[in-house]
Amino acid sequence: MLVIENLQARVDAEDGDGREILKGVSLEVPAGEVHAIMGPNGCGKSTLSYVLSGREGYEITGGTMRFDGEDLAEMEPEERAATGVFLSFQYPVEIPGVPTLTFIKEALNAQKRLRGEEEVPAPAFMKLAREAAAQLGISNDMLKRPVNVGFSGGEKKRMEIFQALMLQPKFLILDETDSGLDIDALKVVADGVNALRNEERGMLVITHYQRLLDYLKPDVVHVMAAGRIQETGGPELAHKLEKEGYDKYAGEAA
Amino acid sequence: MTAALKLTDMETALIDQLPQDAPLRALLSEQGLPHRRVEDWKWTDLRTVVGKLPAEPGVLTFTISREPDAWAEQDEEPGLLMPRLASALGEDIQVYTLEDGERLELGVEATKGFAHQQVLILVPEGVKAELVENYAVEADGFANLTLVIVVMPGAQLDRVIEQHASPDAALVVTSLIDLAPKARLNQTTLGFGAKLARLETHVSHAGEGAELQLDGAYVLDEGLHLDQTSLVRHEGPNGVTKELFKGAAIKGAKGVFQGKIHVEQAAQKTDAQMQHRGLLLDDKAEIDAKPELEIYADDVVCAHGNAFGALDEDALFYMRQRGLPETKARALLTQSFLAEPIERIRDDDDRERLMARLMAMLEAL
Repeated sequence: MLVIENLQARVDAEDGDGREILKGVSLEVPAGEVHAIMGPNGCGKSTLSYVLSGREGYEITGGTMRFDGEDLAEMEPEERAATGVFLSFQYPVEIPGVPTLTFIKEALNAQKRLRGEEEVPAPAFMKLAREAAAQLGISNDMLKRPVNVGFSGGEKKRMEIFQALMLQPKFLILDETDSGLDIDALKVVADGVNALRNEERGMLVITHYQRLLDYLKPDVVHVMAAGRIQETGGPELAHKLEKEGYDKYAGEAA
Repeated sequence: MTAALKLTDMETALIDQLPQDAPLRALLSEQGLPHRRVEDWKWTDLRTVVGKLPAEPGVLTFTISREPDAWAEQDEEPGLLMPRLASALGEDIQVYTLEDGERLELGVEATKGFAHQQVLILVPEGVKAELVENYAVEADGFANLTLVIVVMPGAQLDRVIEQHASPDAALVVTSLIDLAPKARLNQTTLGFGAKLARLETHVSHAGEGAELQLDGAYVLDEGLHLDQTSLVRHEGPNGVTKELFKGAAIKGAKGVFQGKIHVEQAAQKTDAQMQHRGLLLDDKAEIDAKPELEIYADDVVCAHGNAFGALDEDALFYMRQRGLPETKARALLTQSFLAEPIERIRDDDDRERLMARLMAMLEAL
């Protein structure tokens, strides 16, 4: 489903002298699997999520990233979204003046138009929204408020998963979705993510800590350091990292 | 002594239409039309722009929801140059006396060439009425209109002005407004600019419970210019003024906001707030702003603010990541920035109509 081969990318710098962040990342997430990427701060985890989703400010200097056989690098961010790639942001952005439900409806229908599908009728959309909101403990009031405006960190993360439930993407990238969550909120969010798990959907869970993985139970865990995948293993690797830390990979960062 | 002005063809044509003994004739010959070295017009060089337009008479077409109540001759000449020209060169003044609950719709279209007109709107004591204006000028037109509006004690006027994009034309609309004690005026402009457009509003604010809401939103596409200039003069105590202008410009466009609130010594307990916010949609967009407070009373609450910004790139990426095309994401963000003055329009239909027009313009940028 998602195939990344020897991906190299640098961050654009004003002086034109960009810094290489991804130095040859290779991994493959087949449909139906949940992969975790763990690693120390600054190892390139978040950069990988931005490069995959098409944020400006990064230059791909080598390698490939394909989703269902299509070259993501050739696509605009909205085309990547329409093809099914959803990024749950580490820091969801506030958008004053645009009510949450209006925003999601516009986004869903824009994706459907790009895919050549029929738009969702308003009653069906509202029904979906009510169900997803109930599942995540999101109030009607929150849905009417402008996107993320005045929400707590935990509410913003819940709202990201709410949007994923509404948009039903083929692939989720969760960037530090556990940061800023207390243990109750973490469980609600994890339940929401687990509800999205199925045979056709892949997920890439980027995290610094193992606690989210206790709920999500990934199939594969990758350790990233110094812009590369350093080690790949089963869920036991996450536990090992929790005990031993990332020191072992510190030498690679030099 | 200043050197004699070399008149443009437009100025010569205007002067030719004035009576030989008119003081205005001498004034125009000496000073010409307003230009960038006149302080109040420093960002809006009317003289240069209309100097390049055809110096021939044009036609103003009024589409009005009803006939005027009267046609009157000028009895007192206005002080400002453009209203003086409108008064001297236009037909007899159209006079409307609004009735309680009335909605007067005033559409003005101008063709190629110059045209002038003055309109008088009277809102009698205690009357509550609406005035909805539309301005559009065809290519090579130069329209100069003056509206004298008198809002009498206890009366209320809700005024909504739409100025359509007129890329090859010039438009000057000067509003001279008298706001009596306990009267209320809510004015909202949605402007898209012209080769040069100036919407100038002067309010004599009597205070004594009178309230003014003076709002505007503007979106300027490439090559368009819109100047919104206002002068509010608080002359009596206990008056309220709330001013909110928000605008966006792309490269090659020019927005001008000049707002002045003048509080006379007699106008104690005045509450006056003025805000202007500009959104620069490109590096090469230009918005010039000059907010001013001039206060001679010592017991007042007055404030003004002015700020410029650009679209939030993080928000743009976030919206695109959820599937919105870039143009739509930009339009939504810009709309949310500009919405507030439009949202303050009281009439539901007018508010929705202007909001839809705003969105349509943003999606076409």
